Amino acid sequence: MLRLTEIIGTASEPHIAERLHSLSHRGAVEYVTLRREDTSRKRLHVFTDRGTEGAIILDRSEQLANGSVLLLEEQRAVVVRLEEAPWLALEPRDAAAALELGYFCGNMHWKVRFVGEYLHISLQGPRADYLERLSHLIADGRVSVVGNE
Amino acid sequence: MNSIVPGTLAPRTKTGTTSAARVGVGGPVGSGKTALLEQLIPRFIARGTNLAVITNDIATKEDAERVRRSGLIAPERVAAVETGACPHSAIREDPTLNMQAADDLEAKFPGLELILIESGGDNLASSFSLDLVDYWLFVIDVAGGDDIPRKRGFGVLTCDLLVINKTDLAPYVKTDLPRMVREANEVRGGRPVLLTNCAAGEGVDAIVEHLAREVLFDR
Ligand SMILES: Nc1nc2c(ncn2[C@@H]2O[C@H](COP(=O)(O)OP(=O)(O)OP(=O)(O)O)[C@@H](O)[C@H]2O)c(=O)[nH]1
Ligand SMILES: [Mg+2]
Repeated sequence: MLRLTEIIGTASEPHIAERLHSLSHRGAVEYVTLRREDTSRKRLHVFTDRGTEGAIILDRSEQLANGSVLLLEEQRAVVVRLEEAPWLALEPRDAAAALELGYFCGNMHWKVRFVGEYLHISLQGPRADYLERLSHLIADGRVSVVGNE
Repeated sequence: MNSIVPGTLAPRTKTGTTSAARVGVGGPVGSGKTALLEQLIPRFIARGTNLAVITNDIATKEDAERVRRSGLIAPERVAAVETGACPHSAIREDPTLNMQAADDLEAKFPGLELILIESGGDNLASSFSLDLVDYWLFVIDVAGGDDIPRKRGFGVLTCDLLVINKTDLAPYVKTDLPRMVREANEVRGGRPVLLTNCAAGEGVDAIVEHLAREVLFDR
């Protein structure tokens, strides 16, 4: 198991970017894909996109982020890539519905963002689960789902 | 800390250069969280893991006292957090008390490798902040009813490892255990589910192995 015990830097830093670029020509850059919430963890059992098994063991003060470089060697690099959670966009019918929707999402401890008239919920699980939980608000039209992917 | 030994297990000293793994144990009231701790503690000590424990209670230090008195672990390695009204706020919205308790334990016991953090008994929606723990278990029990996984509580769905405890009671409470396990696997999309009987210690070794593989990385 590959032990990854420090964050060497960020893939976008010029001197690192250069090295990653040349390593990538040899197919030697491996990516670890993490969900955003997992970046708070200091210990993670991971597999890279090339199937390398790794143990991330960081100090409590370290913070994983998109582009964190965990290994940078002559023969290989390991870089963190964030999997962006999809958003569920909702439109409340009126102010009363907006209050209720906001209260409900807070109660559920869902992560949300405010986008003008819309409320976006970060989906940490199947979309259907969230729609089911919101069904009492959606059923009578107080809240509607925006777009339909 | 800085040495990276690719492809091998870096030698780990007991003097502790890395911080301890923090593992949460949450779940509804009375599901067997403390009973699980009492089964885990001797097993981790037996395998040489340098261990400490934090318990959360609403208004008392009941669980901490119970673990301290158990004789399983040095009492000073057990810290208590009194959470006040909502047990879940201390492990999720504002986990500072628990983070502080964990930092204190690490300062007091150099080389600490694992801190088990029991949350106060709560409901099926409770969860741990990943600012506090690296990994968390949610303990439910068969006596709570075999419909619990189906109810898709947030804790049941999102925990890293779901533990179904009190398997010994299944025949007495008319719980269809195979069905409970099948539905737990379904709602969790195949993420890990393990069964225990903490009254007798059955299934606990598998949890120790699981945690060693997922967060300790010491073998
Ligand atoms: N038969 C049986 N009883 C168990 C088992 N695990 C725990 N118990 C009993 O269940 C009761 C509750 O166990 P605890 O370990 O205190 O549960 P808890 O989740 O820590 O409870 P709170 O911290 O109060 O939420 C106790 O009487 C235990 O002896 C088990 O696997 N089988
Ligand atoms: Mg307890």
